[in-house]
Amino acid sequence: MPWNSRTSATKLSLIALVAAGWLCGVAIPQETPPTAAVPQAAQPAPPTPPAATIMIDAAHGGTETGAVLAPDNLEKDVTLAFARRLRQDLLVRGFQVRLVRDGDMLLSTDQRATIANTTRPALYVCVHMTSQGSGLRVYSATLVASGENSGPFADWRTAQEVSIARSRSLQQQLTETIRKTRFPLKSLTVPLRPLNNIAVPALAVEIAPANGQVSQLASADYQSMVSAVLANAISTVRERLESGR
Amino acid sequence: MIPRNLAVSVAILCSLTFGMSLYLWELRRHEAVNTQREPLPQHVAAPASGQTESITLMVAHDDGGELHPQSLTLPVSNNQQERMQEILRQLLMIYQAKGSPHPLTTNAEVRNVYLTQSGIAVMDVNGAFADGQTSGILAEELTLVSFVQTMTLNAPNITAVKFLVDGKERETLAGHVDISGALSTADASQLANQLTAR
Repeated sequence: MPWNSRTSATKLSLIALVAAGWLCGVAIPQETPPTAAVPQAAQPAPPTPPAATIMIDAAHGGTETGAVLAPDNLEKDVTLAFARRLRQDLLVRGFQVRLVRDGDMLLSTDQRATIANTTRPALYVCVHMTSQGSGLRVYSATLVASGENSGPFADWRTAQEVSIARSRSLQQQLTETIRKTRFPLKSLTVPLRPLNNIAVPALAVEIAPANGQVSQLASADYQSMVSAVLANAISTVRERLESGR
Repeated sequence: MIPRNLAVSVAILCSLTFGMSLYLWELRRHEAVNTQREPLPQHVAAPASGQTESITLMVAHDDGGELHPQSLTLPVSNNQQERMQEILRQLLMIYQAKGSPHPLTTNAEVRNVYLTQSGIAVMDVNGAFADGQTSGILAEELTLVSFVQTMTLNAPNITAVKFLVDGKERETLAGHVDISGALSTADASQLANQLTAR
């Protein structure tokens, strides 16, 4: 019968199509009962990047006292106390921390730059104190970005050129975070050694009292507060520091 | 035969004459040395009369850590070098006045300003200028940029400014800001923009 033969032909075509689809791995839409998830072999966790190293440089030291903030309050001592406090706050936040000096010793700016360039931290932060003004100032070097000054024989005076774009970018991110805390802040560039001689991202911070009283600079409460503000800000750029971007 | 007392008197008179001659010769030599010596550098007073000019000073203000432009009319010299010295000494006088917005010691002096053909200006200040400066990054930067930007605004042909202290190079102004090299006026303008009050 023509009708029956046509139906059989259609059935055969459908069977052939399904078989071809199965052979070729084409999914045939069909209702399938939900199945329990098949346990998969545990994938190895992606390797965590090593914690970024922050290098803190307490400015001055030894016979080079820095500013005389008060007769018994020298800048070199206050910067060292603050550097130790900031080291603790950064360690708690999971960073590796190196101090350029952890005692009252005289280091030239060239020696400081050499230590930083040898260690190659993710970020170098130079700490200064002042009696003038109020709040925090964050500085980057007064240089223009250039890729030419690199390699084994980079110009010492402008070694920061290769990293100045990253330094400025980090400076901007840090200051944006600090501004949210409403802490008095200025973000500037300055011709300051050893910033120009450092080949990795480098910033300087200058801390002034918030209430105009110089004695506040040496107080544990004020130092803890500023240190926490700075450490929190550095934490916000952790990924960039760890990835080296 | 000459009497003995007369011979002794003549000998005494001769020795006195010889001594007085030596003393006179020494006095004349001393006077000659003094007249050859250069006169000590003195403040160049602005000419009391003559052509006046409107100039702009970039004045540092410690409260707020900012620079404020300040215009004033001043009788100035036609000589470029003297003109620049007068302008910078005018700026220094503001900092030395009572109630100054950015105090500098009263002993501070701008000893000389040299303008070279290549556009580099050399500003030589005395030791008191640097030693009496408040030590700190912002305080020193305000002083440096204030003077360099004032020069830039009043002599556009200057391309860079080099600071000397007592005629010698110095690494920092007062322990912080680097003055070992010449600061280009382009960099100074950039710094001034950051520091200028808006």
